[in-house]
Amino acid sequence: MLTINNLTKKYGKFTAVNHLSLHIPAGDLFGFVGPNGAGKTTTIRIVCGLLKPSSGSVQIGDTNAPIGSKEMKRLIGYVPDFFGVYDNLKVHEYMDFYGSMYGMQSRDIAKLTDDLLELVNLSDKREFYVDTLSRGMKQRLCVARALLHNPKLLILDEPSSGLDPRARVEMKELLKNLHSMGKTIVISSHILSELAEMCTSIGIMNRGQLMMAGRIEDIMQQVAGGKRIHIQAASGIETAVRLLMEQAGVAVESVRENEIIITNNATDEQMSALIGQLIQNQVVLTGFYREEGSLESLLMQLTGGGVQ
Amino acid sequence: MKIRWNPIVKKDLQVTARSMRLSWGLFAYDVVLVLAFLLALAVIQGESYSYYSDRNIYSYLITLFPVLAVAQVCIVALIAPIITASSISGEKERQTFDIMLTTCMSPFSIVLGKVVSAVIRILFFVAAGMPVMALAFVVGGLAWSSLLYFVLTIILLSVLSGSIGIFCSSICRKSISAVVLSFVIYFVIYILTFVPTILNLLWTEGDTVGEAPLLLLVNPGVFFEEFFMQLMTGESVFGSEMGTNFSQGSVGFVTYRLAQGKTWMFLSAACILVLAFWFMIAAAWNVDPMNHSGGKKRRKTKTAKKAA
Repeated sequence: MLTINNLTKKYGKFTAVNHLSLHIPAGDLFGFVGPNGAGKTTTIRIVCGLLKPSSGSVQIGDTNAPIGSKEMKRLIGYVPDFFGVYDNLKVHEYMDFYGSMYGMQSRDIAKLTDDLLELVNLSDKREFYVDTLSRGMKQRLCVARALLHNPKLLILDEPSSGLDPRARVEMKELLKNLHSMGKTIVISSHILSELAEMCTSIGIMNRGQLMMAGRIEDIMQQVAGGKRIHIQAASGIETAVRLLMEQAGVAVESVRENEIIITNNATDEQMSALIGQLIQNQVVLTGFYREEGSLESLLMQLTGGGVQ
Repeated sequence: MKIRWNPIVKKDLQVTARSMRLSWGLFAYDVVLVLAFLLALAVIQGESYSYYSDRNIYSYLITLFPVLAVAQVCIVALIAPIITASSISGEKERQTFDIMLTTCMSPFSIVLGKVVSAVIRILFFVAAGMPVMALAFVVGGLAWSSLLYFVLTIILLSVLSGSIGIFCSSICRKSISAVVLSFVIYFVIYILTFVPTILNLLWTEGDTVGEAPLLLLVNPGVFFEEFFMQLMTGESVFGSEMGTNFSQGSVGFVTYRLAQGKTWMFLSAACILVLAFWFMIAAAWNVDPMNHSGGKKRRKTKTAKKAA
């Protein structure tokens, strides 16, 4: 559905997006993950025709239309991270306005508006002024607006930012619904647990580069099969550290009073042999467990810093 | 045949019509016009009762129309930038402009919609001033066609003012900066276009201004003066004001030919329209993201980093 080829965006000497290539199949719910300044929003804005790339191309479906062309815009529904609404404009008028901007007839817009407001659970707010709606409602209205022209690709930039927990859950359910209807959705978010729960695939960006992309199961498996092991011992910590440091493929990450954290690439058999060796050398083990994989820990590993 | 409105015009008028600001603005506009009317009436009465006056009051009352018309033109020239300069920068401040750009409307259609809605809003004021203008008709001596021509010239002024405002709005991020820039451009068009003519007069010690007055073709002030001179006396402003000095020698050949009859007025109207169109094209170019490859300036780099 969405193919990005070698996309680069430079601002003078600063490179916001660096040779990004990505393919998102039709029907995917793709999550864009990365710390602030990773280049997610820049990428999204280029795809939506709000920024001109320095080089590279974007293709949606079979269309070879250039970025920012009418043909391209017709295929995209965009929900920005921050957006305003107009004073003195009712919900159905808001929908009518944006529908007209896509060249739709008022009669068709009115019919679709009813359906979409029902989908986003705002049917009872049809006659309300948009500026009186809560932030969560405005966000859902913006999704309904983005779906009005039936785009092939729905792009949401940080849709959950600034929402209360209830509104977040509602937004998540809405996106799941849309995905089940077959919409291709690209979503960037900082709430990684949410992405892990609902996305079918993710891409991790850092400093303008795509660090990793693929099916969520594959990525989570990599994280789960991961490399951090916590070893807890009642005594013999020094011996354990010495033995671990002698092992090939094992790196001691940190040592606390009764706990050692290591990263390793060893197989399960090698790990059981290691446990045996520790016990033989009088290390009184009280715990030995693999750290549970999470998108947060993967992001931290890949970006080499904290999640923001 | 059903007329298809530019969606921006429809939305802007909907939003404006519901705003109390418009009602208060119209009220203030009428108050100023009434004050101008009363002041003019007082002056006329004083003049006609003067011991030295050899004219009856009716010959003075005929000047009420140009006085009120000029008052309207001045107010419109003052309020037009305030109305229009915030139209695009206001959308940017409200964070609705990005969504607008992701729709199928071309940047020129967006700009045109903004100009048309500004012109219509200005016409609200002109229409509100009609009852006061009608007082000038009570004394007679004016044809309905005079009023029609006046409305047409106001539309011309509105189109130019609107285009300048939109152009400034497309450049500036803040509405207040756009208003200030609009008045700077006004100053250039209304005042600085006289500079070559004045300099020519100084250099030639009043002998000739050459073709320098041609620059005044884009000056709406000169256009209005010519319009009222033609309307009230049937003479050209060049013929009457330059008096005996006005000859082929005192101005260049082209200027002299154009200053005959109504040629100057029509050509000036055409030049003002072309200038307005240029401002619209420039504004459309400015707002089109595909025309900006990413700044070399530090300011844009900072913005880009923030966006990323």
